[in-house]
Amino acid sequence: MVSLVQEIDTEHEDMVHHAALDFYGLLLATCSSDGSVRIFHSRKNNKALAELKGHQGPVWQVAWAHPKFGNILASCSYDRKVIVWKSTTPRDWTRLYEYSNHDSSVNSVDFAPSEYGLVLACASSDGSISVLSCNTEYGVWDAKKIPNAHTIGVNAISWCPAQAPDPAFDQRVTSRTSAVKRLVSGGCDNLVKIWREDNDRWVEEQRLEAHSDWVRDVAWAPSIGLPRSQIATASQDRHVIVWSSNSDLTQWTSSVLHTFDDAVWSISWSTTGNILAVTGGDNNVTLWKENTEGQWIRINYESGTAIQSKQPSLHPHSHSQQQQQAPQQHQHQAPSHPGPSSDSEHSSNLSNSQLSN
Amino acid sequence: MPPTETLRPGERGGAGGSGGTGPEQTYIIRQSNKYYEHRDSQATAMSVDYSGQWVLLAGRGHLALQRLGQDDGSLRRHERQSKYEVSVAEFAICPSRKEYCAIATSQHIDIVRWGIAEPHYEMSLRGHTRTVTDIDWHGKDPNLLVSCSIDTFSHIWDLREPRKPALSLNAVCMSGATQVGFNRVSGNLLAAAHDGDLRIWDIRKGSCPTHYITAHLNRVHGINWSHKRETCLATASQDGTVKYFDVCNPRRAEKIITTMSPVWRARYTPIGNGLVSIVVPHLGRGENSLLLWSNSKQTDPICSFVGHTDVILDFAWRPNRESSTEIELVTWSRDRTLRVWKIDDNMLKLCEPSAEEEESRFEPDLSELRVPTPPEFLHPRSILVAASLPISTGDGACNTLPMARSPSFGGGYYRREEPHIARSLTDQPTCSLHHEFSLLNTNMPHVEVDTLDAIKRYACFKICAGGHTVILQVTFATSYPSPSAPPDFQFCQGTTLSSEVSGVLLKVLRCNSLQRVKKSRTCLEQCLRALVAAMKKRVAAVGGADRSQLLLQSPRLEGALSSTLHDACIPYPRTSGVHFNAVGMLTTFAQPVNNKRLTLRQHTALTPRTFSAINGSGLLGNVMATAQRDANASFYLQERMISGKPGKQRAIRQMNGSPVVHVYDTSSMLHISRSMAREFSLDKHNIAETCRRNGEICRQHGRLDLVPVWLLAELIATPQVPHETLNELVFYNDPFKKSLLESLIMHYASSGDIQTAVLLACLFDKCPTGGGAIMEMVSRLPPQLNLQISPYHTVLPLDVKSSFSSITCQQLKQLRSNSWSDSLDLEVKQVQPDAYACSLIRRAKVPLFDQFKRSYAEILFGWQLLSKRALILKHTQNMPPPVQGVEFVTECGTCAKPKRTPKCEPCKRPVLFCVLCRLPVKGAANACLACGHGGHMDHMMQWFEKHQVCATCGCKCLERTSELLALLS
Repeated sequence: MVSLVQEIDTEHEDMVHHAALDFYGLLLATCSSDGSVRIFHSRKNNKALAELKGHQGPVWQVAWAHPKFGNILASCSYDRKVIVWKSTTPRDWTRLYEYSNHDSSVNSVDFAPSEYGLVLACASSDGSISVLSCNTEYGVWDAKKIPNAHTIGVNAISWCPAQAPDPAFDQRVTSRTSAVKRLVSGGCDNLVKIWREDNDRWVEEQRLEAHSDWVRDVAWAPSIGLPRSQIATASQDRHVIVWSSNSDLTQWTSSVLHTFDDAVWSISWSTTGNILAVTGGDNNVTLWKENTEGQWIRINYESGTAIQSKQPSLHPHSHSQQQQQAPQQHQHQAPSHPGPSSDSEHSSNLSNSQLSN
Repeated sequence: MPPTETLRPGERGGAGGSGGTGPEQTYIIRQSNKYYEHRDSQATAMSVDYSGQWVLLAGRGHLALQRLGQDDGSLRRHERQSKYEVSVAEFAICPSRKEYCAIATSQHIDIVRWGIAEPHYEMSLRGHTRTVTDIDWHGKDPNLLVSCSIDTFSHIWDLREPRKPALSLNAVCMSGATQVGFNRVSGNLLAAAHDGDLRIWDIRKGSCPTHYITAHLNRVHGINWSHKRETCLATASQDGTVKYFDVCNPRRAEKIITTMSPVWRARYTPIGNGLVSIVVPHLGRGENSLLLWSNSKQTDPICSFVGHTDVILDFAWRPNRESSTEIELVTWSRDRTLRVWKIDDNMLKLCEPSAEEEESRFEPDLSELRVPTPPEFLHPRSILVAASLPISTGDGACNTLPMARSPSFGGGYYRREEPHIARSLTDQPTCSLHHEFSLLNTNMPHVEVDTLDAIKRYACFKICAGGHTVILQVTFATSYPSPSAPPDFQFCQGTTLSSEVSGVLLKVLRCNSLQRVKKSRTCLEQCLRALVAAMKKRVAAVGGADRSQLLLQSPRLEGALSSTLHDACIPYPRTSGVHFNAVGMLTTFAQPVNNKRLTLRQHTALTPRTFSAINGSGLLGNVMATAQRDANASFYLQERMISGKPGKQRAIRQMNGSPVVHVYDTSSMLHISRSMAREFSLDKHNIAETCRRNGEICRQHGRLDLVPVWLLAELIATPQVPHETLNELVFYNDPFKKSLLESLIMHYASSGDIQTAVLLACLFDKCPTGGGAIMEMVSRLPPQLNLQISPYHTVLPLDVKSSFSSITCQQLKQLRSNSWSDSLDLEVKQVQPDAYACSLIRRAKVPLFDQFKRSYAEILFGWQLLSKRALILKHTQNMPPPVQGVEFVTECGTCAKPKRTPKCEPCKRPVLFCVLCRLPVKGAANACLACGHGGHMDHMMQWFEKHQVCATCGCKCLERTSELLALLS
């Protein structure tokens, strides 16, 4: 089901807090409490290609920009700084921009969809969100701040995909009007908030309340164009909640994906927006997928069979659909036919990261 | 007397009747009525019980009771074992629980019941995660008490259910709670202090505070609710003020008492109209620090209680159950003495407002801001106060001294008032330098005034703080205090500062002065205060020499509000993570975190919430402060300790397991495959054949589930009737095929198999043969070209000269889009929308499917299959990028609204008329960017072949337009 491409020993001197592959999946960036960001070849277990030093505290998160702007990486740290790095070759990195206008630890960074240009959002424990946009022509950065976005602090931030679902499927709707920038943020006030850019200002559009403890991570699902939006939020209260809305983004319905054994703090959507990876304080990585009935099932990538989390006896595919689709539906229920031996060998490797603790 | 003269240094000594340094006293000074000395007591907290008989002294090593009624002075001591200081102890204030007291130590609160012989520990209230800073019992309900803590929470406990707080008030803020208090009248309101701010809660709705009060500039040390008025409370703060607030009007304080030193406590007298404050004097400037104020007069205290030789830690009222007109004040000081003071009837009477003042209470705005005129200071009542003091009622040690040390009312008395006036006045623009000097507080700690010369417009000060001396000369420009004229600061000879430090201090001064001067306000006093503060801080940062002073100013909270507080707002660091990239590769890492290694403060089953849960994170707090640290050292305490020896670092890493990141390819789970994408064909000459081939590719790559789909696609593509290909319309109008295909595509898209969905959508996008011509045409067009552009949106050719030629009378506006593209020199072609007529896909679905295609194209881009990506993008019709380049918008002559169409719909008339032929322009148009005249493209071209200037106005259209365009690019 999943095949291990590479195992990389980061050799960081302290805890790793985030690791992200670039757009092409060629370079891996990791960041750690030792204050450094390291760049690796994702397919070779070599020494780090580069070590980016500039932060004076633990680095919490890294984010890659879309490659059309060049090789650009942003990192945020406990030292209240956000640094944007740029490279010419994977080994040479220079500091493109440094932003230090936050009063507390910066916990999360995320680059906007490339359609909006080189725009970066930062979430800080001082309660504010910064949106940094770069005029790529002149290399000038402009910062906009949303003060008091969340009381106590903002823990996570994520952008709404640019291809906002086209409301009426109407050809005449101009792309100009639908290009509204949106952000979702989660904070220590247990809230998830959706922000919309409105005439150069960011306004709170929605406030999603369901968590009973700090929200640790938020992720807006990438869109392939379907008229729906999904946001996943992970919280200290051990819940992962998936919020769904139709195309107009006004009504959000929540469904609890699962209650985990420990706080959940990292979630990520697959490109096609149908698989969610989750991990938390118990250090287990789990993958989740929504079946055609709208239930979230855990994908057991070791044996290649799906385990239904809630209603074990429910048969997921409806008989009214055409027979020809049946094989594909089986695929969904049981996401893989027992794979080749090499696959299972690799997938047992994936579990190593869980078993080793 | 002119104010400047009173401030002449020479005259100062003479005017002050009581001599050189001390301020003139106009209030009563009292010694304590009784005192008990307990040299060996280490008590840090004190409380008086309900009956007023017992005083509890609680310290780290013992609890002790002192009986007040008896004079033997012996202490009933009870040992207790704790490594933490008692931060606060409070007897219950309801009679039904009078033998109970609450003692807070570290994070816990112990409820102790005093039996006949010894204390019984009844229960321990555990819920705070950081040091408890204050406790208050509910005045009405004997079971309730509230506690607040550095962890920012205030918990309300019900003693009948001690396991967890009955209500937790979460003050979402950075700073911990330092003080908390129940309303004495209703008991429903509760105030908690967080730094300089107050939060007022209604305990009946505990989800969020009902009021926020930005009370003080600095930390609030004391909160006390009025015993009479439900919504009133008084706060004491480090910034040297006591403020009276009405929570119904939280914007501004009702009254302010200003002192020169931080105020530690301020409490209303239980009867009467007074308030007692403890002032913490600066080191070495011990003046009497326990003052009784009248609530209606903030300028002068009524009485000062002297006797303690060190800081007073706390005080309490000893209720006198017999007499309702007398109360006693019990104080405990760091000089290890317990003193009792009687506040008698007469004194309380002095607190009552006089009739005149009563009147002025109704116009507080005025009374506070008004410049007091001299006659008001010489109000006969104050003389009366000084003169009519009761002379020594003397019981035992009692020693009431009537002090009327104010023989000269004039200058001396006037000066006594100065600080208060200065406070209220400097917030308003003042007129002259004379005035500012006259209002300057000459008794500022650490500051000596050398010269104040309002005529030569300069002032000299000698400031001694933090072990350094600074001679500061301030010169004022004539226009001061206008926004552009901050005063000039200079350090003169005699200054004992390094150039580096003095640079910093000068900057502090300039910043402060600018801030004030910007609002046309005077700045001298603010600057001096800032300078003193900066000097102290500077030295504290360098050597920590002034530490004792810091301790003094905050005897109880020392160290409690350390930098670790910052970390309470920062989430616990992730030890594992997941991340999908754009092409379906998953990165995961998970470090087995050894909890022993991290030594968490709290051992719970769950991962803690905040960063501050890590024991070593105090180090991080320090990082916050200095932003300097050894880059190689590890961040978490124990590890750091080991890694003190560099050679061991590797060993540690191996022991803990080095941080490993796994990279997975999950594309098969996402139903996308790069190798399949490379092989799939989109050949449209024979769709059925292409489908068969694609099915074969799926089979080869093990996607057997997709084989039947391609079979089905093949069926769709196979014409049922021979020679049907010649008549595509019939073939493609087959409704069954259409809906089958659409539902197939939608199914795959919604289930995430975007690859199959997009391939199907592309293959059946247009008719295989008849659409060929259109296909070619589309392929010739660059993808950026938006086919929705109406032909009237002329894209201006770069080669301006060749295309320009005439005139319009309409106003033309130009817009420039975000970026220039290389497609500028293309003419707009309109592709017949009938390309869809022979498509199997309904036109309504096209925009959606185009989105699918673009998403898939992005994945192909990530796989670096650029030609495949281009092939897919060829099938999209609605490219979203907006018009690029210069765009003309014509404005309708009638309704003056910009139009993008040749005709204004509401006005029913054409918007653009050619300046040459005077006919409406519907097709290609061109216009001058400078004068706006233009018209039909070919007319314009004809005109400018022969002419250089505009046909209407004589503008040099060609030159000026090309100049403008050059500017734009």
